Amino acid sequence: MRVERLLSPLPGLLVLAALLLGLEWAVDAGLIRRALMPAPSTIALRLWDLLEAGDVWAPMMQTLRLVFTGFAIGSAIGIAAGLAMGWWPAVFRLLEPLVELIRPIPKSALVPPLMLFLGIGFTMKVTSVALVVTFPVLVNTLQGVRGVDRVMLDAARTHGWPARHTLLHLVLPAALPLVLAGMRISLGLAMVLAVLSEMLAGEGGLGFLILDMQRSFRVRDMYAWLVILAVLGLALNWLFVLAERRALHWQRR
Amino acid sequence: MKITSGTWLILGLLALWEASARLGWVESPNWPALSQVLAALAADMATGELPARIGGSLWRMAAGLAAGGLAGVLTGLAFALIPLTARLFGLVVELLRPIPVPAVIPPLVLFLGLDDPMKITVVALTVFFPVLTNTLQGVQAVEPDSIAMGRTFGIGPLRRAAFIILPAALPAILAGFRVALALALVVTVVAEMIAGEQGIGSYLVLMQFAGRAPEMYGVILLLAALGYTLNRGFVALERRLIRWWYAQARQAA
Repeated sequence: MRVERLLSPLPGLLVLAALLLGLEWAVDAGLIRRALMPAPSTIALRLWDLLEAGDVWAPMMQTLRLVFTGFAIGSAIGIAAGLAMGWWPAVFRLLEPLVELIRPIPKSALVPPLMLFLGIGFTMKVTSVALVVTFPVLVNTLQGVRGVDRVMLDAARTHGWPARHTLLHLVLPAALPLVLAGMRISLGLAMVLAVLSEMLAGEGGLGFLILDMQRSFRVRDMYAWLVILAVLGLALNWLFVLAERRALHWQRR
Repeated sequence: MKITSGTWLILGLLALWEASARLGWVESPNWPALSQVLAALAADMATGELPARIGGSLWRMAAGLAAGGLAGVLTGLAFALIPLTARLFGLVVELLRPIPVPAVIPPLVLFLGLDDPMKITVVALTVFFPVLTNTLQGVQAVEPDSIAMGRTFGIGPLRRAAFIILPAALPAILAGFRVALALALVVTVVAEMIAGEQGIGSYLVLMQFAGRAPEMYGVILLLAALGYTLNRGFVALERRLIRWWYAQARQAA
């Protein structure tokens, strides 16, 4: 069983290795133009240089800070608004049409006007990330709150729990699986908006670098930064799934 | 439509928008009145420039949706029905999935240029993943009994896949397409914003640079309406395609 689990990713790794080797060979044999796709080995070397010189950290931290801040703000607003709308019918009636009006706007299209108002700095980028994060979290929180067991709510009332206590200790935990599912979707979207706003604002970060390297025909650098971004996306996703499992440990037993 | 507090809130905000620009509460070239925005939008539609750009964007979106969706369904079917393919290629798919879409645009520009092929590929790549995931889950959830029955009746594997498994997994697949449709519009606009001079995304950035705020906001309103209409249209189509599924759900309830 143990050996089997250790071996299970092996076929996948072999295919990955075969693809990389095939690419290497195709570039060497001149089937793919080096100006478009340098050999994977040279990209790996470039990546190593970047890591060794420590050039990786500043742009990576810039993008990470953007994703984290925007994600935190957007999630907080989404959860708060979702809870309020799910809990008080009056708030739902007040905000629901507005939410339905703003939700279908592609948030990426809001980057240009945000640039007009907030410039090209951190504020603009964080706002665009927070905007895209808010709505999936809000909609999922709302659904989660609505799905809370009536009997449990009645029980809380019977025990004389104040509304705030019920919200924090019954409704929020019960809605948590859906809230976290919404946040998982939002995390991917946060990365998309972070990269896009960095590309459009042109002021550093991984997104800016990838586009800038392409425009200055430093193709090897472009792929190296792309690999870094991919690893970052993978790591963030993995961390979130891990955190989600810990937070929901009571659910799957 | 029922007039609720939410409707009043929207009307109030729109009135505030109009008044703040008309009465000079907010004095900024970036803050045109709602009526100016609508007039600019109407003028752009009348000259025929905007309709042509929308048509182009929609065509690229549809082509990408079709290509990526087909690839997603086929890959999902293969992964679910032939476990070996999942073990071989699952890892590569999982490694590619978390790359934020805007980041793949620069390398694709190198290979495919700035026009339709690049943009359609970007959309197809975006659409591929949600459709794949949903197809996989949908096929795995098909009742084993119905597949066994097909086998008993001597129906071959290909026809089983096409006439038993695919229809049974259709609700899940369509749910994947609904998610993909929203993403496809966003990504079409993103690709147009970053590269090339085509379509509605490029127009948006053009208007931003030209400082023509009314036109810019007009395009955003139009995009929101487009996103909303596409979603509604798809839901209507979905209800027709899988009417039996809704009927079953109603019976169960």
